[in-house]
Amino acid sequence: METKKMCLVLVTGSLDKLTAAGVILSGAIADDYQVDVYALIHGARAFLKDIADHPEKLRVAENVDLRDELEASLKRLNVKPWIEFFREAKQIGDVKIHVCGLAGKIWRGEKLEDFDPIVDDIVGINECITKLQEADIPVIL
Amino acid sequence: MTEEQLRQITPDKVVDARGTACPGPLLAAKKAIGEIEKGQIMEILSSDEGTKKDVPKWAQKKGHEYLGTIEENGYFRIFLRK
Repeated sequence: METKKMCLVLVTGSLDKLTAAGVILSGAIADDYQVDVYALIHGARAFLKDIADHPEKLRVAENVDLRDELEASLKRLNVKPWIEFFREAKQIGDVKIHVCGLAGKIWRGEKLEDFDPIVDDIVGINECITKLQEADIPVIL
Repeated sequence: MTEEQLRQITPDKVVDARGTACPGPLLAAKKAIGEIEKGQIMEILSSDEGTKKDVPKWAQKKGHEYLGTIEENGYFRIFLRK
């Protein structure tokens, strides 16, 4: 059976959308999708080594005034931090995480070692476009 | 299967995903199904309402047999045959 592909482009670096992305990624992995994640601009910043494990350094995109309620509910429901969805998905399935070269420069993350170890490489936009074209499920957040 | 038949099953593997929200139980099932042999039965315990529909649909797509669900007090017992 041919492997299905998802391309998940993360323009966002907000806590709420990154958490949603982690949930979507988990569903795809459960379904044996091969997933390529492309982190652009704020998405790339979220994967920086000194940001990834610090959700307090991320904003929320929607209903900003509900941030405390969102975080309290996620904790009460035992929902893992957003980055853990990505770490677990990489352990279970075929997931590659790519960071945009421009974004890296914007946030002074020019080398791979500036990012969390789950990031596979720093790439240009053409690869991202190609993967979007090839994907059975393209997702842009 | 009837609830009575489900209650008589001795599963080869039990996955206790109670206390985790979606997608926790689904990922737990995905991980555990790789640890049993074809024909063996897995039971997933979940307190997440969405899992009741999510896991049977996932099982069907992946070629596993959904045997049924028992609703207990505050959680579900979902049975699959690999």
